[in-house]
Amino acid sequence: MTDTPLLDVADLATFFHARAGVVKAVDGVSFSLKRGEVMGLVGESGSGKSITGFSIIGLLDPPGRIERGSVKLEGRELVGLPPDELRAIRGKAISMVFQDPMMTLNPMLTIGDQIGLALEAHESVTGTERRQRAIAALAQVRIPDPQTKVDFYPHQFSGGMRQRVAIAIALLHRPRLIICDEPTTALDVSIQAEILAEMKELVAQLGTALIWISHDLATVASIADHVCVMRYGKIVEAGPVLQVLTRPQHPYTQGLLDSLPSRAKPGAMLARGAGTDAAPPPRLPRQAESGHRRADLPYVVIETVGKRFQRKSGVLRLLAQKVGLLGPLPAVQAVDHVTLSIARGEALGLVGESGSGKSTLGRIVAGIYAPDSGQILLDGEPVMSPGDRPHKITTRIQTIFQDPFASLNPRMRIGDSIAEGPLAHGLVGRAEAGTYVAQWLAAVGLDPAFAGRYPHQFSGGQRQRVAIARALAMQPDVVVCDEPVASLDVSIQAQIINLLLRLRQELGLTLLFISHDLSVVRHLCDRVAIMHRGKIVESGPAGEVYDNPRDAYTQRLLAAVPVLPVA
Amino acid sequence: MRQPVPPSEISPAARFWAEFQESRVAVVALAVVVLMLGVAIFAPLVAPQNPYDLANLVLMDARRPPGFVGSSGYTHILGTDAQGRDLFSAILYGLRISLQMGLIAGTLAFTVGVTLGVGAAYLGGRWEAFIMRVVDLQLAFPAILLALVLSALLGQGKMQLIAALAAAQYAYFARTAHGAASAERGKDYVEAVLSTPLPAWRVVLKHIFPNCLPPLIVVATVQVASAIALEATLSFLGVGLPVTEPSLGMLISNGFQYMLSGRYWISIYPGIALIVLIVAINLVGDRIRDQVNPRLKR
Amino acid sequence: MLGHILGRLGQALVVMLVMSALVFVGVYAIGNPIDVLIGPDVSQDIRLDTIARYGLDQPLHVQYFTFLGRILQGDFGRSFVFGMPVLDLILSRLPATLELTLAAVVGAALIGIPAGIYAGYRPDGLAAKAIMTISILGFSVPTFWIGLVLIMAFAVELQWLPAGGRGATVSVFGVEWSFLTANGLSHLLLPACNLAFFKLALMTRLARAGTREAMLSDTVKFARAAGLSEWTVLRRHVLRLIAIPLVTVFGLEFASTLAFAVVTETIFSWPGIGKLIIDSITSLDRPVMVAYLMLVSFVFIMINFLVDLAYVGLDPRLRRAGSR
Repeated sequence: MTDTPLLDVADLATFFHARAGVVKAVDGVSFSLKRGEVMGLVGESGSGKSITGFSIIGLLDPPGRIERGSVKLEGRELVGLPPDELRAIRGKAISMVFQDPMMTLNPMLTIGDQIGLALEAHESVTGTERRQRAIAALAQVRIPDPQTKVDFYPHQFSGGMRQRVAIAIALLHRPRLIICDEPTTALDVSIQAEILAEMKELVAQLGTALIWISHDLATVASIADHVCVMRYGKIVEAGPVLQVLTRPQHPYTQGLLDSLPSRAKPGAMLARGAGTDAAPPPRLPRQAESGHRRADLPYVVIETVGKRFQRKSGVLRLLAQKVGLLGPLPAVQAVDHVTLSIARGEALGLVGESGSGKSTLGRIVAGIYAPDSGQILLDGEPVMSPGDRPHKITTRIQTIFQDPFASLNPRMRIGDSIAEGPLAHGLVGRAEAGTYVAQWLAAVGLDPAFAGRYPHQFSGGQRQRVAIARALAMQPDVVVCDEPVASLDVSIQAQIINLLLRLRQELGLTLLFISHDLSVVRHLCDRVAIMHRGKIVESGPAGEVYDNPRDAYTQRLLAAVPVLPVA
Repeated sequence: MRQPVPPSEISPAARFWAEFQESRVAVVALAVVVLMLGVAIFAPLVAPQNPYDLANLVLMDARRPPGFVGSSGYTHILGTDAQGRDLFSAILYGLRISLQMGLIAGTLAFTVGVTLGVGAAYLGGRWEAFIMRVVDLQLAFPAILLALVLSALLGQGKMQLIAALAAAQYAYFARTAHGAASAERGKDYVEAVLSTPLPAWRVVLKHIFPNCLPPLIVVATVQVASAIALEATLSFLGVGLPVTEPSLGMLISNGFQYMLSGRYWISIYPGIALIVLIVAINLVGDRIRDQVNPRLKR
Repeated sequence: MLGHILGRLGQALVVMLVMSALVFVGVYAIGNPIDVLIGPDVSQDIRLDTIARYGLDQPLHVQYFTFLGRILQGDFGRSFVFGMPVLDLILSRLPATLELTLAAVVGAALIGIPAGIYAGYRPDGLAAKAIMTISILGFSVPTFWIGLVLIMAFAVELQWLPAGGRGATVSVFGVEWSFLTANGLSHLLLPACNLAFFKLALMTRLARAGTREAMLSDTVKFARAAGLSEWTVLRRHVLRLIAIPLVTVFGLEFASTLAFAVVTETIFSWPGIGKLIIDSITSLDRPVMVAYLMLVSFVFIMINFLVDLAYVGLDPRLRRAGSR
C-alpha cells in the first residue's frame, strides 16, 4: 500500500472543443506525487498548468473535457467518476486554493458562514461546534483574534488575509492533497513571503501533499521539492527543484532562467530577449528651448507633490456635516508631499507595494492627474497649465502603461493609434505619417505591414511594443513607465526589457520606471526610490539601496523577495 | 522575434459580425427585421391595395374572414376590417407607421441620452451629479406613465407622440452611456491619449464614444422595440396617434370591439405582425447583449 | 448607517418637492389654469370669484406654495366628472389596484426567479431554452394584446373566467377586497396573469443573467472545489450573489406595475386608479390627474427608499460603509 503514490497522473489530456477548433490545453501529462510531497508546476500563460490542476479535481468549465489518461488518488481512478463521488472527494481528500482572493470568497456571507458551509459539505456539525471549528481553522492560518474575525465579511479583510481564509477552508478536512493555483500572484511580495512560509510549515506539519502552480520560478524554488516545467500542454522537464533550476536539461527551461533579470548583470541585454530591431527614426529637431530654462534646477523636478482621493459629499451631506450630524467622508492621502528629482538621461526606479501611491505619483508626473499641492517641472517648465481645470501642456513627457490589453483603443488600427498624437501636434504631416509609423514599428521590432491591424490581432508582448512605439513617436524626453512588464510572461518580459534598454540608450531618454518587481528595477534603473504609504522612505543609487538598505521597510521588502538557487 | 499574426486585418466590426452569425436564431431574427423594414419602406409597392384610397373602401366587404374574395374579385388573404379594407395591406401600412415612430423616437432618445450621458461622464463634478440624478429620478418613473401624461398634455399628433416617446426613453440611453463612458474614461488607453495630450473633444469623440457603442446598441434595440410597443399601447388606449395615422396598435384597437363577436382576425393579425417584429428585434438585441457581456467571455 | 438613512430620506424629500413642482408646472401652469379648477360651463362671476379665491392673479411661485400648502392638507380639489373630493375618489379606487399589482408582482417573482435561476444554471438544457423562449415572448408582446388574447381564449371561447369587473368583494377594515371570495378571485385571475406576464419575463431574464454570471465566477468554483453540493452552492452562494439586482427590480417593478395597471384595468374594466387616470385624461379631469401623479410619485419614492434600505440589509459592504 505504501508503494502506491498518493497521486498518479498518467497521459492526461484535456481539450477544449471551441467553434474555432480544438485547443489541446493539456496534452499527455504524466507525473506522480508521494504523500507529503510538494511539487511545483511551472509554466508561462497558456502552458496548461492551471487546466492540469482543474482536471485533477474534476472542475473543468465546458467546453473543456478530459479526452484520455487517468488520474489516480491512492490507486482510485478519478477520471470518469460520477459527479457525486467526485464531489465527496473535493474538499475532503483533495482541495484547492485559487489565484485571486478578492474573487474567491463570497462578499455576501461572513467568513464563519463560508467556513461552515465547507465544513457541512463533508460532516454534520452542530451550530456551536461549527463556530468553534471555524475559529480554530482561522487560528490555524494565523489570523489574529479569530473569535471576532469569524463574524467579519470578506471586504473587511486584506488580500493576504482573504487568501489565508481560503487556505483555512482548503485545510478544513485535512486533505491529502492541496492544489494551489498561483496563490500568491495577486499579493504583494511581503505578504507572499508570509504565505509561502506558513504554507510550507502547515503542509509539513499536517503531512499534506501540495501542488504549487506558478509562473514564478523563484517562489516555486522556495517551496517545492520537485518541479515540472510545462509548455504547450506538455511537461518538458521534471526533477528535483535544485537540479532543474541549476542544471536545466531542456532548452526551454534554460531559456526561462536566462530571461530572468535577477540572474543577469544590471543593464545587460537579457539572453533570450535579444533581437534585431531597426534603429528608431532620427529625432525631430525640437522647437527652440524657451527662456525659462534654469541651469540650477534638475531636469525633472517633483516638488512637494500631494494628492488626496476623497469622495465628494453631496449637498445634503454637506448640510449634515455643517450641523455636525455627520463627519466628512474618509479620504486617502495617496501621495504625501513627495519631493524627488531625476537627472537628464537617468532612469529612476519607483518601487512600492500595491496602495503605496506609486502609480498615482507616476500619473501626476505624466500629467494625467493634477496634484492637489506641489508641481512637476520639466526643464524648469511646469507640466500642467495653471488654473481651476489644469491640463497637460507639454508633449515632452509620455507614458507606457501596465496592461497592454487595456492601453490601446480596441477600435483603432494600431498605425492610427501611433500616428494620432504626432499628427495632432504637427510633429509629422499627413503625407509622411505612414512612413513615420512604419519606422517606429520597425524600431520596436514589429513588421511595418502590421500598421493596418487592430489590437486584438496581437499578443500581449506585441501590444506592449505598439504602446511603446506610440509613446516614443511623440518624441518625448521623459517616459513614465507604469509597470510596463508586470503582466507579461518572463520570456516576453525579457524582450520588452531589452527593447527599453536599447531605446533608452539610442534616444537618450530619461525614465521614471514604476514597478513592484525589485529585480526588474535593479536591472533597468540607475537610481531607486522606495515608496510606502504615499511617502518616499528611501532613495539612492540602485546598487547602494539594494546592498545596504537603511530604512526598515526597504529591508523587509528586500528580504521578502524569493531568491533562485544559484549553481 | 516576430510572432505570427493572423494573415489579414480583421476589424472589430467584422469580428463582431462573425460572432453574431454563430447564433442561427439571431441571424433569422435579423433577417426578419430587415425583411419587415423593407416591406414597410416599400409598402406602397408591395401592398396589394392602398387601404387609404377611398376607392378601395367597400362597406359591403367589411369584416369578412381571411380568404374572402371581394367584390372587385380580389382575394383578401387575411380578411377585411370594419371599413372593408384589405387587412394585409392595412398591416403593411401600419407596420410602416409603427416602425417609423419607433425609429424616429429611438434615434431622438439616443441622441439626447447619449449626449447627456457621455457629457456627464466627461464633465464630472456637480454637472455629472445633477444630470445623473435627474436621469435616475426619471428611470424610477415608468416610461408608460410619462408617455401617457405627456401625450395627454401635448395633445394628439405624430410629433407630440414622438416627443413623448423620446422623453420617456432617453434616460435609458443616458444611464447606459454614462456607465460605459465612465468605465472607458478610467481605462489605460484613454489615460494614454490624455497624457499625449490630445484635446478633450477628440478624446471623447474618437476614443470614448466608439467604445461605448456596443452596450448602447443593445439598449437601442430594446428601446426601439419598446417604443413600438409603447406607441401601440398608447394608440390602443386612445391617447396615441390620431386616427389619420393608423399604426398597428390602432388596427388592433379598432378590431378589439369585433373580437367578442368572434371576428378575431381584425385584431389578431395586426397583433401577430407587431409581435413578430418586436420579438425579432429583441432576439437580435439579446444576441448582441451576450456578445458584449465581458463576464460571459471565457 | 444613520447617516445613510438620513441622507436617503432627505433625498426622497427633495425629489418629492421636485415632482410637485413638475406636476404643478405640467398640469396647472400649461394652458389656462382656470379650466383646471372649474368646469367650462360656469358663469363669469363664479369664474372671477374662483380666480381670486385660488390666487390665480398671484405670481407663479406664490401660487406654487399655495398649491403645496393645499396638498399638504390633503386638499386636491374636486373631480369635475365625479363631483367628489379627489382624495376620497382615489382612495376608494386604490385597494383594487394594489390588490391587482401585488398579485401580479408576487406571482411573477415566485415563478420567474426560480425559473430564471434554473435557466441560468443549465443554460444549454432544453428546459432552459423553453423558459427563455417564453420569457422573450413575455418581454416582447405588448400587455394590451395579451389581455385581448386572454379574454378571447378564456372568457369568450372557453368561458371559464369572467372577462371584466371585480366580482364579489368582502369588506375588511372598511376596504373592499376581491381575493377573499371565490368569485372575486376568478375575476382577479385573468387581469393578474395579464399584468404579471411582462414582469415574469423580466424577472426570469434577470435571474438567469445573474445566475449565469455567478456560475462562472471564482466564488462558485471555489465553493465547488470545497466539495459543496450543487444545491448548497445555488441556495447559499448564488442566491445571495444575485439578490441585490433582484430586490432592486422587484421594488422598481412594483412601482411600474402600478402604472402599467392602466392598460390591464382598461381592458378588464377593473375599477382601480389606472382606469381612473385614463378616464380623467380623456375627460381632462385635471385635479384627478394631479392627485394621481402626486400619489404615484409618492409611492415610487417610498419604494425607492425601501429598496435602498434593503441594500443596506443585503450588502455587508454597504452596512460597514454606512456605519463609518
